[in-house]
Amino acid sequence: MKTMKVTFHINDEKVNLQVRPYETLLETLRERLDLTGVKEGCGMGACGACTVVVNGIPLRSCLVLTPEVDGASITTVEGLRKDGKLHPLQEAFMEKGAVQCGFCTSGMILTAKALLDRKKRPTKKEIIKTISSNICRCTGYKKIVEAVEEAGKKRV
Amino acid sequence: MILPKFEYKRAENIAKAIAFYESYNGKVHYLAGGTDLIPLVKLRLSTPMAIIDLKGIEELKAISHQGESLVIGANVTLFELKNNDTVKEYFPVLYESLDATSCETLQMRGTIGGNILQGTRCLFYNKSLEWRTSRGFCYKMGGETCNVVPNARSCFSNYCSDNALSLMALSASVKLFGPQGKREMKLEKIFSGDGRNPFTLLPGEILTEILIPMKRSKGTYQKLRVRGSIDYPLLGVAVSVKDNAGRVCVGGIGSTPLVYNIKNINGGTFKDVAKKAQNNVRPVSNTTLSPGYRKKMVSVLIQRAIKQVLKEGK
Repeated sequence: MKTMKVTFHINDEKVNLQVRPYETLLETLRERLDLTGVKEGCGMGACGACTVVVNGIPLRSCLVLTPEVDGASITTVEGLRKDGKLHPLQEAFMEKGAVQCGFCTSGMILTAKALLDRKKRPTKKEIIKTISSNICRCTGYKKIVEAVEEAGKKRV
Repeated sequence: MILPKFEYKRAENIAKAIAFYESYNGKVHYLAGGTDLIPLVKLRLSTPMAIIDLKGIEELKAISHQGESLVIGANVTLFELKNNDTVKEYFPVLYESLDATSCETLQMRGTIGGNILQGTRCLFYNKSLEWRTSRGFCYKMGGETCNVVPNARSCFSNYCSDNALSLMALSASVKLFGPQGKREMKLEKIFSGDGRNPFTLLPGEILTEILIPMKRSKGTYQKLRVRGSIDYPLLGVAVSVKDNAGRVCVGGIGSTPLVYNIKNINGGTFKDVAKKAQNNVRPVSNTTLSPGYRKKMVSVLIQRAIKQVLKEGK
């Protein structure tokens, strides 16, 4: 089957790729671009481990076909660090101990980033609602919610 | 999970989408948000030759007031619709069901059209090809039996849209555009009553718009779920009240939601409707909760919803 030409910005870098039409964004990011911070959990859109931010919106990359994001601007967890400095969310996750096995963490951080980008100071209730899009099976959500709250405060 | 092979086509307008449909002899799927479709294709429950992306069709992305109706384009995302002021003010039942749908991230991707036309679900159907092959194909997969109810004559898969229930309670209609032309019908008419092929849409038809009569309503949506997030409804009850006349829609059990009208919501007859609905539903063991519990909860949720509307008056 013929491949398709796709162009998009990934972490502020422009890439041109030839991809299979039935390739998911998750596969493209992990296998073609070596961005292994994106994790495959359930592969069915339920867990949120594969979340990336596309044009400001958090998306499950396992449910998105790569040709669909032609022309988009994508951020993965690798792109959060700016000038050698971690994103406030990453700092807060470390500070609050919101990481245990770490598998859900990149998805959690990107979901939270999209929230903080659209709302400067979300309330605890709003954070819980947003974070409930993602599943964590070890730390519980308390520390994760605390970390997002902390990062929200720091940014103001 | 790896997807099977198919081609990808992007349609800029409806006519183009239908042209693609015809050029592949109908062996295609229309793609909007993909939150329901992609898992189905991954599980090989559907193996299209091509997927036609409708997201680029601008005219399907608008929310507008036309005459006596609020017109919602099928490509409007659930999140966008939830944050629409008219929806919040006029149709609280729809706001609540949108809010109860899955989780925020999926609401941002899933569209209202796709949510209405999602496939019906069953614990014994939404499984991998290997699982289904070892178990034996059921009616919905083209087999000769039902894997849930022995000797059943029809398919009991559940229709799991939260928002279709609210829209039906609000007496919404839908506009369809297909190779045979345009048509408009009441939302409840799109259900065929057969879980194998749950919709009455003609081959190649695209749901383009949803029309809700512009009249301020009170209402609420009650959803039975195991987790507070992400889950499909194991039972959904939407209640909408306009000028004392109520409309109740029960879904999540079987492939067709049930609709009941209550002439006078204050008249105390709603208990009879709750009882009638409970008698009419036919839950079977195809979800994570027992059929007996789901059946009992029908009456409980209807009464709870109506009491809440009467009490809060919203």
